[in-house]
Amino acid sequence: MHQNLILQIHCDMSNHRTIQTKEVFLQALSSLAVNRLRSWLTIMGVAVGVFSIIAVMTALDAIDKSVESGLTSLGANTFQIQKYPATVFGGGHSRNRYANREDITYKQGVFFRKIMESKARNIGFIITSPANQAKYGNRSTNPDVTMTGGDENFAPANGYIIRSGRNLSSSDIQYAQNIAVLGGELAEKLFPAGENPLNKAIRVNGQVYKVAGVFEKKGAAFGQSQDNLLVIPITRYLDHINEKSSISITVEAFSQDEYRKTIDQATGAMRQTRGLTIKETNDFEIRTNDSLIDSFRDIQRIISTGAFIISFMALLTAGVGIMNIMLVSVTERTKEIGIRKSIGAPRKSIRNQFLLEALILSLMGGFIGIIAGIGAGNIIALNLNLPLIFPLLWITVSIMVCSIIGMAFGMFPAWKAAGLDPVEALRPK
Amino acid sequence: MEPVIISMVSLCRHYEMGDQIVKALDNINMEFRRNDYAAIMGPSGSGKSTLMNIIGCLDTPTSGIYELNGTNVAEMDDDELARVRNREIGFVFQTFNLLPRMNCLRNVELPLIYAGVAPEERHERAEQALLSVGLGDRIQHKPSELSGGQIQRVAIARALVNKPSIILADEPTGNLDTATSHDIMEMFGKLSNEGNTIILITHEEDIARFTHRIIRLRDGRIESDERQ
Repeated sequence: MHQNLILQIHCDMSNHRTIQTKEVFLQALSSLAVNRLRSWLTIMGVAVGVFSIIAVMTALDAIDKSVESGLTSLGANTFQIQKYPATVFGGGHSRNRYANREDITYKQGVFFRKIMESKARNIGFIITSPANQAKYGNRSTNPDVTMTGGDENFAPANGYIIRSGRNLSSSDIQYAQNIAVLGGELAEKLFPAGENPLNKAIRVNGQVYKVAGVFEKKGAAFGQSQDNLLVIPITRYLDHINEKSSISITVEAFSQDEYRKTIDQATGAMRQTRGLTIKETNDFEIRTNDSLIDSFRDIQRIISTGAFIISFMALLTAGVGIMNIMLVSVTERTKEIGIRKSIGAPRKSIRNQFLLEALILSLMGGFIGIIAGIGAGNIIALNLNLPLIFPLLWITVSIMVCSIIGMAFGMFPAWKAAGLDPVEALRPK
Repeated sequence: MEPVIISMVSLCRHYEMGDQIVKALDNINMEFRRNDYAAIMGPSGSGKSTLMNIIGCLDTPTSGIYELNGTNVAEMDDDELARVRNREIGFVFQTFNLLPRMNCLRNVELPLIYAGVAPEERHERAEQALLSVGLGDRIQHKPSELSGGQIQRVAIARALVNKPSIILADEPTGNLDTATSHDIMEMFGKLSNEGNTIILITHEEDIARFTHRIIRLRDGRIESDERQ
C-alpha cells in the first residue's frame, strides 16, 4: 500500500510538472506585486549594476567600430617620430618622465633628414597647436582651429589632398613665408558662399597669413573634424610663434614592404641624431597607425576592466539586497508558507516559489539596466557621430550574471522557507 | 463495519524542553473508521493539538505506529508527508488560514494546484466545492470581503476539494458566534451524512454534541472514548 501510494504520487508529479511551474511563476509575480515599492527598489539595485557595464560597453563598442578608420589618421606607409607617445597613462610621474626628455628641435630634424633622405620617400616636420581663432575681414571662427607648422611633405604624409591653389613649397619653408594652406572646413567657415579664399589675408593669433591653397575634406575621426586646420611653414611657426616647440617628424616609407625596415632605420638615425649611446634607451616615440590603435585598445581595456569591477561590486551589493528582501519576505510570509505546506505544498514548490521571486527581481533589474545602458551608450555614440550599437555579447553576459546573482542570493532564503516546520509556521505569533 | 482509515498503536510524542521531557502524547491506542464523525476534547495542554498535528501529518510521532490507509506515516519524509496532506487530508483551522491576497476560487484551487490538476478541471472542482458549502455566488470575493462564517465555509470548501480521506478541523467554531457556529456544525453534519470522515477538536460541549463520538484527552492520554 505504501509502495503504491508513493508510486502513484511520483507519476502524478512528473505528469503535472508544467502546470506547477506556471502556477509557481504566477504566484511569485503576485507576491512581488504586493510589495511593489520594495520590489522596485531591489530591482533598481540590480539595474544600476547592469546599467554601468552595458552603457560603458555599448559606448566602447561604438567607438571601436569607428576606431580603425578614425585612428588611421596618418597617410599610407607613414609613421611619426615625436617626444611624447600617442597617449600617456598614469599620473604626473609618467607624464614627467616624457616631459623631461629633450625636445626634438628643428635642427635635429634637419640632421635626421640628412641621414634618412635616401631611405624614405618623404620626411616632414610638424608642430601642432590646438585651439586657435582665425579671422578674415569681420568673420571669425570659434577658437578651435588647429594650427600646424609643417612643410611640403605634411600634406602627403597625413593624407591631405590639395583641392585648389597649391601646397607649401620647399622655398616657403626655407624663407619662412607667411602663407597658409587651409583645411576644407576652415575655408568654408571663413569664406562662405563660394568666395575664393586664394591669396586672401587671414589673421590667426595676431599674425597675418596669405592663403596659398585649400585641402579636400578628410572627414571626422571620433566626432572631431580633421578639416578645421591651417598649415603654415614650420620655420615661420618657430620664428614667430614658439621657437621652443618640440617637433614631430613624419616619415613615409617607399612601400608597405619596406615599412618595418624604414622604421628600424629611422630609429637608428634618430638615436644617432640624439647622440644616444648603446646603453641608453630611446628618448623618443615612434607613432604608427597601429600604435594609435594599440593605445586605444589599452584605454578600452582599462575602461572596460574598471566598468566591469564597478558593475561587479554593484551587482554583489544588489545581490545582498535581494537576499535581504527575500529573508524579510520569508519571515513575513511564515504563515503563508505554513498554510501552503498544510495543504500539501512539497518543499521543492516552496523553494522554487521564493527562488523564482529572487530570479524575477534580478532579471527585471537586468533588463531595465540593459535597456537604459544601451540607451545611454548610444547617446554617447550619437554625440560622437558613431553608428548605433546593440552589444549582444554584453547583453547575454548581463542576463547570465543576473540569473546567477538571483539564484545565488535567493538560494538561502528559499531554502530557509522550504525547510520551515509546518506546525511552527502555522502557530499564531 | 466500515474499513479502518486511521490506526494508532502505542503512539507517543515527546518534546525536550531543556533537560525535561514533556510527554505531549503518551501511549495512544485508537482507531478511526470511514465515515467516523468524532470530536477530540480536553483542556489546554492535554495534547489534543499535538494529536491533531500527527493525524494531519504535519508532525510525526516520537514512537509508536500511526497508519493512515495502511501506510505507516512515521516512516515518511517531508515531501511524502506533504503529498499525503495534499491527497488524504483536508484541514479546517480556527483562524481559517486562507491566503488573504487570493480570491475564494484561487484559495480553494490551491490544493489542486499542488496535486497537479489541469486548470479547467481545477476551476470546475473548486467551483463545485464552493457551491456545496453555499458560496457559489462569492467565488471572486477575497476573504477580507466575507464574514467569519463565510470565510470558514471557504476553508471547508478548500478542505473538501481534493476529496480527502479525512477532514480535520481544529476548533473550527472558535472564532465564530453561536449562531454561525451552529451553521458550520450543520455543514459538518451534512458532510458526514454524505460519507465524509470528520475529526474535530473543540473544548465546547455543545459543539462536541453535534458529533457521533467524543474522545477526551487528559495529560496526553485518552481519558474516555464514547460513541453517542
